[in-house]
Amino acid sequence: MTSTSPEARTSRARTGPPGERAARTRRLVARTVVGALLALYGLVSVYPFLWMVSAAFKDRIEVVRGGHLIPDDPTLDTLVDTWNKLHFFDFFLNSLLVTGYTVVLTLVIYAAAGYAFAVLRFPGRGALQKLFVSLLFVPGITVMLPIVLLENKMGILGTHFGLVLPFVNGGAPLSILLMTGAFMAVPGELRDSARVDGASELRIFTGVYLPLARPALITVALLTAIPTWNEFLLTRVSLNDPSTYTLPLGLQTLSAENVPHYNNLMAGALIVVIPVILLFLSLQRYFVNGLVGAVKG
Amino acid sequence: MTTVPGAVTKAPAAGGTRRRRPRSYETLTGYLFVGPAVVLFCVMGLYTVGYGFALSFATWNGFTPNWKWVGFDNYADLLWRSPVYAPRVRHATLNTLWVMIAAPALTVAVSFPLAVLLNRVRRFRSVLRSVYFLPYVTSGVAVFFAWQYILQPDGAVNLLLGGLGLGSLQQPQGWLGNPSTALPAMIVVTVWGQVPVAMLLYLTGLQGIDRSVLEAAELDGAGWWRTNASVVWPLVRPITAVVVLLNLRESLQGFQTFLVMTNGGPGDHTNVLGLEAYRLAFLKNLAPTLGLASALGWILFAAAVVLALINLRALRSRT
Repeated sequence: MTSTSPEARTSRARTGPPGERAARTRRLVARTVVGALLALYGLVSVYPFLWMVSAAFKDRIEVVRGGHLIPDDPTLDTLVDTWNKLHFFDFFLNSLLVTGYTVVLTLVIYAAAGYAFAVLRFPGRGALQKLFVSLLFVPGITVMLPIVLLENKMGILGTHFGLVLPFVNGGAPLSILLMTGAFMAVPGELRDSARVDGASELRIFTGVYLPLARPALITVALLTAIPTWNEFLLTRVSLNDPSTYTLPLGLQTLSAENVPHYNNLMAGALIVVIPVILLFLSLQRYFVNGLVGAVKG
Repeated sequence: MTTVPGAVTKAPAAGGTRRRRPRSYETLTGYLFVGPAVVLFCVMGLYTVGYGFALSFATWNGFTPNWKWVGFDNYADLLWRSPVYAPRVRHATLNTLWVMIAAPALTVAVSFPLAVLLNRVRRFRSVLRSVYFLPYVTSGVAVFFAWQYILQPDGAVNLLLGGLGLGSLQQPQGWLGNPSTALPAMIVVTVWGQVPVAMLLYLTGLQGIDRSVLEAAELDGAGWWRTNASVVWPLVRPITAVVVLLNLRESLQGFQTFLVMTNGGPGDHTNVLGLEAYRLAFLKNLAPTLGLASALGWILFAAAVVLALINLRALRSRT
């Protein structure tokens, strides 16, 4: 097939300068149209964010007046005001705690499980693995009520611990899929030679396999952290005490006021969104690979 | 796919010189390694699934000491018998079906051309990809409030339409306030959130297409449109299947956007099945609707299983 392209090139060259120029113009037009379309959808993608940022820098009067994307008189007061008035720092810490514990537990539990599924032989392995993956098909709403009732009985409803446990379990199918895949890609000879050297299974796991699966670990951490940071449904029905609220819940109390002040609401939204955007931008390579791997798996 | 490491351990005799620990050792470590995951799953998964299934055959308000067993009454009430719940469920089913038809179709219609275009450019590709990905990363309460804000009567969308000279399309009640535009607006927000992953999947699919196939099409005189419509589109059909089914599942089960932005309103015009189940479970205070909520959850589960089976078939036909 490689022989066809030089042939095409020579035939194009034979058409002479006028044809060449027309082709170049056509290519330029095509490139401009493509660029314009891509930029247009880029605008659609960021459109709500533009207005979120805009409103966060407007005062209460200007935001009601609406009108312009660029605030006439940009002010930091709205952000400061929102941050202070709503104990956003406490909410921020709560979100950080819940997300942090969920990510750490997910990594520890499912890296171990993935290692067992990928490397170790034991009876019931295949059935267990299928069981975990089939969990993907249980809708969240189907188990949400039983989880709340169970936690109420256990006395952990309304605590951060009570959120972390179901979050970790909810991430099981995806995390196990990704970790198992990563560990299976490690050549078995490495394990064999480590065993010849007398290394224990735990040593092989932590010393050989975990370092090699670093990209997968980061992917799992990201794919766990982002939805956990944004989680709202279970959090809303679990937490009652405002001192335990996470950011999305704190944000919701802002909108539940009689007249929602959109400048405060958008300032709060900005505070919620910025950490995730930063996390994504700094680690997006892993994110993209992980998502593709997850769907293919 | 599990055969590679398996082949090594299953043939110890062939290994010969390799020192082996007894089989029971490996079994024990295996169980220790999966132990935490299994314990957590038994408590948070198996127990809750079983409990919810049992509850779907009972009536309970969450406070009285005992359940009242009612057999299949909850299912019957939801599906046809109850004059209160059956019409609500039917209406919510209709809305859910609209979302399940429109959201996947629009997502494919936007994300495939977008991926084709993005695959053409070299410069700015990674920047654009990041920009396109923002909706997925930030999907949550914060962004839904931002949408609510720009869909308001004096919000940015109406402003933009006025600015473009399309003032007749403006919605003076707001896009979410007008019963006839609320559901379409919610579908647009849903699609906006679904496009990133779909676009990414198409993009990886496009990069996997053999260049020589495209060059052959070009040599045969097919223009850019023809090549994409008649060669590329059929080649990425398996990806379309995955995108559509991911979307169907999300449309069937997802209701967070609806809860935050409209709470089913105006007048239940954006009520979907997931939201109805959530309401029955958590927002009815002392009314004995917990059994109904569980039953509705299981109806959704059954629908999800049907979709999953279709999913499996579609994936199998790929290979």
